Amino acid sequence: MANLDKVLTLERRERRFAQLVALPGMVVLVLLVAGPLLYMLFNSFFANTLAAPIPPRFNWGRNYLNLFDDSRFWNAFFNTMKIMVIGIPIQSVLGLIIALLLNKKFYGSKIVIALFMMPVMITPVVAGFEWKIILDNHFGPLNYILGLFGIQPLAWLSKPTLAMASVLIMDTWQWTPFVAVVLLAGLAAIPRQVYEASSVDGSSSSETLWRVTLPLLKPMFALVVLLRIIFIFKIFDPVQILTGGGPGIATETLSVLTYIMGFKNFDVGMSSAIAVIQLVIITIIAKVFIGTIMKPKEAK
Amino acid sequence: MSAKIALNAEDLDRRKRIRKLFSVLRFLLIFIFLAIFLFPVYWIAIGAFKSEGEFYHYPPIFWPEHFNWGNFGRAMTTFGGTQALVSSLIVAITNTMLVIAFGVLLAYAMGRFNVGGDNLSFFVLSLLFAPPVIAATPLFIIFKTLGMLDTYPALFLSYILINMPFAVWIMKGFFEDIPHGIENAALLDGYSRFAAFRKYVLPLAVPGIAVTALFVFIFSWNEFLFALIFTRSHTQTLPIALASMTGGHQIPWGEISALSLIAITPGIILTLFFQKYLVRGLTFGAVKG
Repeated sequence: MANLDKVLTLERRERRFAQLVALPGMVVLVLLVAGPLLYMLFNSFFANTLAAPIPPRFNWGRNYLNLFDDSRFWNAFFNTMKIMVIGIPIQSVLGLIIALLLNKKFYGSKIVIALFMMPVMITPVVAGFEWKIILDNHFGPLNYILGLFGIQPLAWLSKPTLAMASVLIMDTWQWTPFVAVVLLAGLAAIPRQVYEASSVDGSSSSETLWRVTLPLLKPMFALVVLLRIIFIFKIFDPVQILTGGGPGIATETLSVLTYIMGFKNFDVGMSSAIAVIQLVIITIIAKVFIGTIMKPKEAK
Repeated sequence: MSAKIALNAEDLDRRKRIRKLFSVLRFLLIFIFLAIFLFPVYWIAIGAFKSEGEFYHYPPIFWPEHFNWGNFGRAMTTFGGTQALVSSLIVAITNTMLVIAFGVLLAYAMGRFNVGGDNLSFFVLSLLFAPPVIAATPLFIIFKTLGMLDTYPALFLSYILINMPFAVWIMKGFFEDIPHGIENAALLDGYSRFAAFRKYVLPLAVPGIAVTALFVFIFSWNEFLFALIFTRSHTQTLPIALASMTGGHQIPWGEISALSLIAITPGIILTLFFQKYLVRGLTFGAVKG
């Protein structure tokens, strides 16, 4: 009996210790991170402008209703979707090709992989500038190189569809290496015996790829797609530098529109409403992430 | 089956040649991909050494005749690069220290004692995934009310919002990797919980914490949106200095390239020397490299 008591108090003491230790971080997290987000949620239900010193007025969710009626919101929503629906498959295929090419180790393969990863950690503003220079229709090297193949110079950043293509090219450049390296980690985790078994069965290498490798890579693809969706919701700096959401509103994404609504139009209410919608979507994605990607690993 | 076994020397030779051809093809493709993905970095690096005339030259100049160091000088002085560099360093270093200081213990409590359980994990992960722009207007109003716009503390604090969920999540994973036995042995030796943490767990966690700090430093260093909104002139960081260089009539591409080259250096160092941790960091711990 006394022993059990001792164990219980030990457990309680341990829990108290853990909570005490967690406290400072929790306070910071709640105050600095959750606080502003709650304030934003509150703002989203008020007519509130930064342009004039008028007190905020509760407007019964009118911000949300206006938003769903606003073609500019839907434009930003579908632009964001466009980057996902077109960009992610391209990046997955290119990433897979690169991962397969790099899968067998060779002298210096580590350095080659590191060089491949360079675009990922580059300052996003600089990424925007790099492509602004490369895509420039007068002195940019891309039009020059295309010209060598007899293609007329393209006005990359001033035609709406081409501007969207430019954003996609930039995003693909920056994130394909990331996709490749994650898939490479997935390939490395496939046991050698699996390939050997497949080749003993007399499968050709393309059969092995379709029947063995790709199905085993499925969890990695799921991870990559989910992470890319999250990153594309966040995309702001390089688009802001490259196109500024233009020409017109052709490349405006949800993040860019949230910024413009708040700091160009000074409409805090509308900006907050867009932000809340993004937060809701992201929360659902986080739930999926925990359920599908974090959990199976913990079960192991 | 029998056909497969009856390989003669000629057959083997042919197979060898095919394999060699494939290997050459493979390296050729790797080289082409590498050239494409590194080209933008090369172009900005080479651009830092071009004269203005060379920038607007057609056809574009792929290798300048002589390297022009003047862009760096002008970027650092005329265009305020030095001040921006100092600001960036102050902000990134301070924020990293704050985030790690507040994050380490929380990560330890979550990783070891499962404080807050799944709910806290979900909360941290949601914050980590959320686009920073959604916090821009509330923070702006708060900082404006408190008279904190264009001050360093506004950036120190707002960057906590960006980096704290990341740091906690990643460090939690590193603490989970450390075996429990180490602490238990220390506890049996009569150490208190906290002493066991400080003397035995923390030293083992140092590499993970250092890598996390490096990531946080780069994220702060690269950050653009909050710096754009919360700074005016005194506290402009490098990305803002860069963006504001396009304001004039003629865009000074040479100087922009020079300052860009300085701005991307920390990120490139992280990529080249800490590649092992890069995947783990960027997948938020889902892939342990």
